[in-house]
Amino acid sequence: MTRFGRGRLRRILLGAIPFLVLGTLWQMNAVYRWLAPIHMPPPAAVWSAIFTLQEGCPGLLDALRQGSGCLLTNHILSSMGRVALSLLVGLPLGIAFGVLAGIHRRLGNALEPVGVFANAISGIAWVPLAIVWFGVGWRTTLFILLNTVFWLVFFNTLLGVRGVPRVYEHGVLALGATRWKVITQVYVPGALPSIVTGIRMSMGFGWRALIAAEMIGGDRGLGFMLFVSAQEYKTEEVFLGVLVIAVIWMLTDRACLVPLERWTIERWGLVWRPS
Amino acid sequence: MYDGEFAAVVGPSGCGKTTLLNILAGLLPYRHGTVQVDGVPVKGPGSDRGVVFQEHAILPWRTVARNIGHGLELQGVPRQERRRRVREFVELVGLAGFEERYPHELSGGMKQRVALARTLCANPVIMLMDEPFAAVDAQTRITLQEELNRIAIATRKTILLVTHNVDEAAFLGDRCFVFTRRPGRLKATVTIHIPRDRRIWKEVVADPAFTARRDEILELVRAEVRVE
Amino acid sequence: MSSLSVARPDLLRSARARRFWRHGGLELALVTLLALALWTAISASIARPDRYLPSPVSVLDSSRDLLWKGILPNYLGQTLWRLVTGSLIGIALGIPFGILVGLNRTVSEMCYPILNFFQSISGIALLPIVMIWWGTTEKTVFVVVLYTCFFPIAFSVLTGVRSTPRIYVNALRTLGASRLRIVRDVLLPGAMPSIATGARLSIGYAWRAVIAGEMLAGRRGIGWMIFSAQQVDRTAQVVLGMALIGVLWILLDRYVLRPIESDTIQRWGLVQR
Repeated sequence: MTRFGRGRLRRILLGAIPFLVLGTLWQMNAVYRWLAPIHMPPPAAVWSAIFTLQEGCPGLLDALRQGSGCLLTNHILSSMGRVALSLLVGLPLGIAFGVLAGIHRRLGNALEPVGVFANAISGIAWVPLAIVWFGVGWRTTLFILLNTVFWLVFFNTLLGVRGVPRVYEHGVLALGATRWKVITQVYVPGALPSIVTGIRMSMGFGWRALIAAEMIGGDRGLGFMLFVSAQEYKTEEVFLGVLVIAVIWMLTDRACLVPLERWTIERWGLVWRPS
Repeated sequence: MYDGEFAAVVGPSGCGKTTLLNILAGLLPYRHGTVQVDGVPVKGPGSDRGVVFQEHAILPWRTVARNIGHGLELQGVPRQERRRRVREFVELVGLAGFEERYPHELSGGMKQRVALARTLCANPVIMLMDEPFAAVDAQTRITLQEELNRIAIATRKTILLVTHNVDEAAFLGDRCFVFTRRPGRLKATVTIHIPRDRRIWKEVVADPAFTARRDEILELVRAEVRVE
Repeated sequence: MSSLSVARPDLLRSARARRFWRHGGLELALVTLLALALWTAISASIARPDRYLPSPVSVLDSSRDLLWKGILPNYLGQTLWRLVTGSLIGIALGIPFGILVGLNRTVSEMCYPILNFFQSISGIALLPIVMIWWGTTEKTVFVVVLYTCFFPIAFSVLTGVRSTPRIYVNALRTLGASRLRIVRDVLLPGAMPSIATGARLSIGYAWRAVIAGEMLAGRRGIGWMIFSAQQVDRTAQVVLGMALIGVLWILLDRYVLRPIESDTIQRWGLVQR
């Protein structure tokens, strides 16, 4: 246990070195002005951009209530809310259709090319058409995100269910299981490695698509903030936005996806197959 | 088949032994003829026929205990009762102490014991076994065969074993059905008159009654293979 | 009493004929026809279809004009050129970087978090900054695509090198192999499957980055085409562009990326179970 703890500490300390080096270089640039502040704002300016953006925000509660002065937290909550909503809707739908298509051979054969095509144009390419349909605003960006999440989860679930060895189904059927039990006790857990891959991919592609969609066809959210700040040449706000996006992504990955993987796939000794 | 019988089906590979078993299990539809359990025609898979498969069909996402109790769980047996029965069968197949392990932590022989216990625990009328020991090494196979014999005595189950291993069929079966090569048809039935409790490998190999029957079956099967 | 009887066990031949239907060509044709029919029906039943959902026929019709003027091939060519140059150079830089970092345990532990950090900042998010640096130039799009490709591939290569079983390295060491030999004979082949998988993923990201870059930086190409067509209300061109983006990616994935990936995995893939 102590050995494990020490190894972990070592990794954290080692991993911090490049960040420290980059941070030092960044700060040195602020002092020696190798690059102009408009191109590379000093760390202090990025830090104070938080407070400039949050100027009209009296406190945490107000930020959570999305008060009008809390610009930064509003953009963050708006983007994250859309991610949560699209997961809440897209995940169950994608898994349900994926399982259905996975166990029904004909349906699967018919829907697989649809999934391939939808995944090929998912994300950013839908933005112009979505703007035509929904106008500039949150509905367009939500549509883009949902579209990305659904098809990736659907497709990976389909592949995962198809990959579950038939003998598991037979074994459970021979014990007297109903069709529904076979789905919940064999297909869904058996497809889980692939489903988790689908969720990870949909988060990877989904965040990118959301940011791009907010830049082009949004009226709020982190991508929108980046775009507006860049147009006004407020580089420190752009830097801040980029850092926030990276931190949010890493936190969701660490806090949700990695533990999910550890608790299911690794514990069951299943093999992760890249689809 | 009669009650409590241990029947073995032998034949060259590809003669449809596994298909036969899958039809009996209700996993495959059949075109001609009838399959009946206690006079009731088979319409699909059901808990009256337990199946032990060739590959490891136990679920990787359930522990040993949860795998063994799966059949009871599906039948809606209450938890207390289930736990008691699971413990009983864990003991029977000699897996005490491994209840909370996941299948990937077990050896091939142990996985097959779990599969055996899972099927027995559901208390089927008849147990169908599809080359259950094909994937384990030779030593383990011999141990498992003797144990299967012991379990068959202890539980008095009706068992149908499908195998391509003539030794295994002769050692375990009361009656051996020999099949022809594709398309598989019943070729001969060999009855083996050795009391069940005397079937231990060390003893039977020295028993001329056993070797004679075994060689008879071997000849029947080899005749089929030779006509390639 | 239990009994089990089988009459006529000559039925053991079934199940093979059905395999014929398994390949699903019929379903593909059916679903394509169905989708086109549905599309046409919806388009015919809504008000102002040429604004909201032009029919397949009018989409095809809009391509005639573009093809005739030579705009479409030109745009396609530009978009593909951006994708190819950006991603090839990104991959060419990312592979040696990943291997170098992966050689040493301390160095790889040191670089893992920061690579992960940069991998999670998408190139699209950096686009506004890069646009402040270099304006709406070709360089901007190129740098964003390069960045988009570099980090995922470097990350995959690093993971691949680190997960190559140590026994292979030790076996070669006992034979007296030099460091370079170990890289060439063990680490590179061992990392091949993750390189191939990582390359496919990062080109997928790059493809989207090219489209987004064209839209935001206003560089001529297929992404720019659908963006500008929307602004002048030519929805037929938007749909045409989307379909082309989809088809192009499927062709690229099916006939270039996936064969490369499966070949390398088949050839170099260590069977891991």
